[in-house]
Amino acid sequence: MPREIITLQVGQCGNQIGMEFWKQLCLEHGISKDGILEDFATQGGDRKDVFFYQADDQHYIPRALLIDLEPRVINGIQNSDYRNLYNHENIFVSDHGGGAGNNWASGYHQGKNVEEDIMDMIDREADGSDSLEGFVLCHSIAGGTGSGMGSYLLETLNDRYSKKLVQTYSVFPNQMETSDVVVQPYNSLLTLKRLKLNADCVVVLDNTALNRIAVERLHLSNPTFAQTNSLVSTVMSASTTTLRYPGYMNNDLVGLLASLIPTPRCHFLMTGYTPLTVERQANVIRKTTVLDVMRRLLQAKNIMVSSYARTKDASQAKYISILNIIQGEVDPTQVHESLQRIRERKLVNFIEWGPASIQVALSRKSPYIQTAHRVSGLMLANHTSIRHLFSRCLSQYEKLRKKQAFLDNYRKFPMFADNDLSEFDESRDEVEALVDEYKACESPDYVKWGMEDMNNMLTAEGSAT
Amino acid sequence: MNHSSVDFEKPIGYYAASVQELIVIDDVLSAMVGVEGRYILIKTVHGKTDDVTFHVDPSMDLALQELAKRIFPLCRSFLLINQFVESRSQFQNGLVNHAFSAALRALLLDYQAMVAQLEHQFRLGRLSLQGLWFYCQPMMGSMQALSIVIQKAASNNFSGSAVLNLLQSQAKAMAGDNAVRLLLEKMTQCASNAYMSILERWVYEGVIDDPYGEFFIAENKSFQKESLTQDYDAKYWGQRYSLKDGIPSFLANIAQPILTTGKYLNVMRECGHNVQVPQSENSKLMSSGSNHHYLECIKAAYNFASRELLNLIKEKYDLMGKLRSIKHYLLLDQGDFLVHFMDIARDELAKKPDEVSVEKLQSLLDLALRTTAAAADPLHEGVTCVVERSSLLKRSSTFKDLELSQRSSGDNDLEEPVSITSLETFSLSYKVQWPLSIVLSRKALTKYQLIFRFLFHCKHVERQLCGAWQVHQGVKALNTRGTALSRSSLLCRSMLKFINSLLHYLTFEVIEPNWHVMHDRLQSANSIDEVIQHHDFFLDKCLRECLLLLPELLKKVQKLESMCLQYAAATQWLISSSIVLHNPDEPTESSTKAKQRKSGQVLKSTTRNVAVTESILKFEKEFNAELQSLGSMLSSSSQAEPYLAHLAQLILGVKSEQNGF
Repeated sequence: MPREIITLQVGQCGNQIGMEFWKQLCLEHGISKDGILEDFATQGGDRKDVFFYQADDQHYIPRALLIDLEPRVINGIQNSDYRNLYNHENIFVSDHGGGAGNNWASGYHQGKNVEEDIMDMIDREADGSDSLEGFVLCHSIAGGTGSGMGSYLLETLNDRYSKKLVQTYSVFPNQMETSDVVVQPYNSLLTLKRLKLNADCVVVLDNTALNRIAVERLHLSNPTFAQTNSLVSTVMSASTTTLRYPGYMNNDLVGLLASLIPTPRCHFLMTGYTPLTVERQANVIRKTTVLDVMRRLLQAKNIMVSSYARTKDASQAKYISILNIIQGEVDPTQVHESLQRIRERKLVNFIEWGPASIQVALSRKSPYIQTAHRVSGLMLANHTSIRHLFSRCLSQYEKLRKKQAFLDNYRKFPMFADNDLSEFDESRDEVEALVDEYKACESPDYVKWGMEDMNNMLTAEGSAT
Repeated sequence: MNHSSVDFEKPIGYYAASVQELIVIDDVLSAMVGVEGRYILIKTVHGKTDDVTFHVDPSMDLALQELAKRIFPLCRSFLLINQFVESRSQFQNGLVNHAFSAALRALLLDYQAMVAQLEHQFRLGRLSLQGLWFYCQPMMGSMQALSIVIQKAASNNFSGSAVLNLLQSQAKAMAGDNAVRLLLEKMTQCASNAYMSILERWVYEGVIDDPYGEFFIAENKSFQKESLTQDYDAKYWGQRYSLKDGIPSFLANIAQPILTTGKYLNVMRECGHNVQVPQSENSKLMSSGSNHHYLECIKAAYNFASRELLNLIKEKYDLMGKLRSIKHYLLLDQGDFLVHFMDIARDELAKKPDEVSVEKLQSLLDLALRTTAAAADPLHEGVTCVVERSSLLKRSSTFKDLELSQRSSGDNDLEEPVSITSLETFSLSYKVQWPLSIVLSRKALTKYQLIFRFLFHCKHVERQLCGAWQVHQGVKALNTRGTALSRSSLLCRSMLKFINSLLHYLTFEVIEPNWHVMHDRLQSANSIDEVIQHHDFFLDKCLRECLLLLPELLKKVQKLESMCLQYAAATQWLISSSIVLHNPDEPTESSTKAKQRKSGQVLKSTTRNVAVTESILKFEKEFNAELQSLGSMLSSSSQAEPYLAHLAQLILGVKSEQNGF
């Protein structure tokens, strides 16, 4: 069973979106809540083995680890209809069940303490696969477990499985409403550093934008977590379609990511999806041609990251890469025409330091799910405006840090012991450098960014010899 | 009458005119059935056995002579026709001649009956020479016309359709003379009956029942149906059955459908289906004058045969399923198996073509097919491995030569790369059995293979570049700003962009839309020939648009690909020599603190390694130059081949467009 992917869902949010993701996958592949293939699911041609494996009794079991430091969400899963889907050996809930108290340092520290248990589980899953391609981590960056323990896991995976890809689906906190987690900026910043240094690809899911989409696009006055999570699961499942429904291209994770990520650190991806629906919501049926779908995907209102940029900055923002995964009954002759039209209308502002264009992947749709629309599309894009999201994280951090607020909670843990807050400073620097790098991408001279020294050196060397 | 009395025969002039008349009538009546009389002699023309003249005793009364001579052409016609009937009834002259002769014989019987009647009248003393002449009138024209026909037929030694054509053209020529025309048409009909029954067996059963070689369709048994799957230039479909010269003119317009009808029926019989066109009362093929019912029958048979065969091929032999399956594996429409195959066959494929074990590759391929999405497709068992001898460039150019001039170019100026590995010569094939081999002939498969090899190589390049990309990802924890490393990752990106754009073009802009169009056309195709035509059109269009018929461009693309491969191969070295990871004597710490320190550092060591930087910049320069030159080549050729503009746009992206490319 080649090119498997192991999913790690960490913390409350991670487990919630993970749960939604597996629900969606089960529906798409015709797998029942117990992991048994439905009688109608005989069409074949899909790849269940990337995300599932089959137990001795033919049950499909997700290659997933459910990890949390408090039992509430996982208990919920274990009491739900899906309790028999997961491998119970893959569920980790900390013994004391006290959670991480929304403290990154606590989550990180606890992660370190239970490293052995969790790595045993990961190793077991990895051994069970033929040629493991990588890991997917679902978490939120604001709380304690997903951010802190997630960070620790990222570092450990990098160490232990340095040859494997690590992709994350990271939920960024809603910046529009005052959070009950006051230390959210600290947690976010510390996590962002790990996302930058230890992940190969981060799919940014911005709760602000998800809420906005739920309100504006889906007309839900007060969207629940379940509703925004279903948006997330839609994105997660759509972004893995080319792996699960193989086509001409992007049949492995590395191929999918390599084309999107230009330099090792600019690996933060935005997503857009159309047409958007939430569960059981009657949706107006719209005309969906390839061009319609591609055009809608480029509209800010369908993109699941909020734009924090000011107008001036926004006009400078550029796409580094775009992959549109179009699912459904597509007339392939329309693809070229649509790309041409988008090009002519100059709907996309691309970087200038290298060739860039929209990539398209046509993919089949699950035959087991009936939808009102013929065609749906997911955009995975690397866009420089993501830097404004990081800038915002930075400025919120600065505000809090200036007041020296809530730092005591962190000092309790070894990393910050003896009032050593250098980790905060380093993280700040890393995030700032990330912002700078994305900013540099907006310039036509990005290729030469920071190369001045080298050119000088080369010429000096040249004249010396 | 004894012999001596003949000798002493008096010239007829000795008799009185009234007596003479009686004698002459008697003689003429004999001459009319080809018997010599006393005063009318029958002589064969000197040197010609098939023509006769009549000699009259010169002493005969002139008036009687004149009258007798007028009847001679009829006698002559009778003789000729009779002779023709005798000679043509021999077996070697074929069914048409037999039928014609039989019809003539029937006519002659009528004629002889008439003569007998006249003779009876004569015996009763009621017939004068004048009267005889009068009674002969109706026969004269007909017999005359027939004698012309048979003379022509005899002198040219016509048989089969030539006889029919002759009869028909004569009938047309005699259109003014209603009686004659009707007679000739009747003759035509009789003669063609034999022909029609041959035709009937062909269009209703697909059998050539033609012992005398009269039919206008020939079967060449030396073309075996097995050749379709083996021979590149198999002519089975085109030439197993062919039209000969001498198509009866009344069938000339419909000859092609007749040929295909039988051909289709034949295919079905070869498949073990005994299909017969359902026959009814009025489906008997008859050709008579202006009645064109037979045309409708043939058309009905044609429609039936093509529909049946198409159904057979589509339903029982699952043509669309096979085509879809070939698309999955040879056109990589379901490419996940290839990812796995390349994973597990990596070492084997790196060998030289003559060292590689095809059996091993085959078993690895089977494994890859069994464990990926292909497992659900029972047709995946048809996929087989091939390791060819020559590179794609060479193969495609010889292929092009074959297409253009039908010659195999032995002396090719394209020299083989020295270190060719199986990666360059690996190909898949697909087992195709009769009767699908009619559509998926060796030639069609070869075209698929050319496309596959190109795609395969692109995939290989993409894979290597992904590997290089992953090596770059490995240093994400290090600050590479301003080092050769960041330059290198951008170069890697450009290369990936190039190969991805190329693959995108090949698959989503060439194969998929064209396949889609072909698929729709095949749904509405009415005959297997249309299917072949649409399928061949699809393949040829794909070949052309995939650059496989444009060696110049293909060469350029391959140059770029080989640069990508070189770069990908060098990446590991470039990166590891850019980074001095830990001091060897410094104990390796896996603690995060140490890692944080490390990641915080700017890699000073990198900038020191000038060789690395230089080689990266060299790669970059060469690649960009080569890419630009491909771009301009594409743009300049896009006038003639508009699809190249698509490729140029994809490869060069938006940037070059903004620069006014």
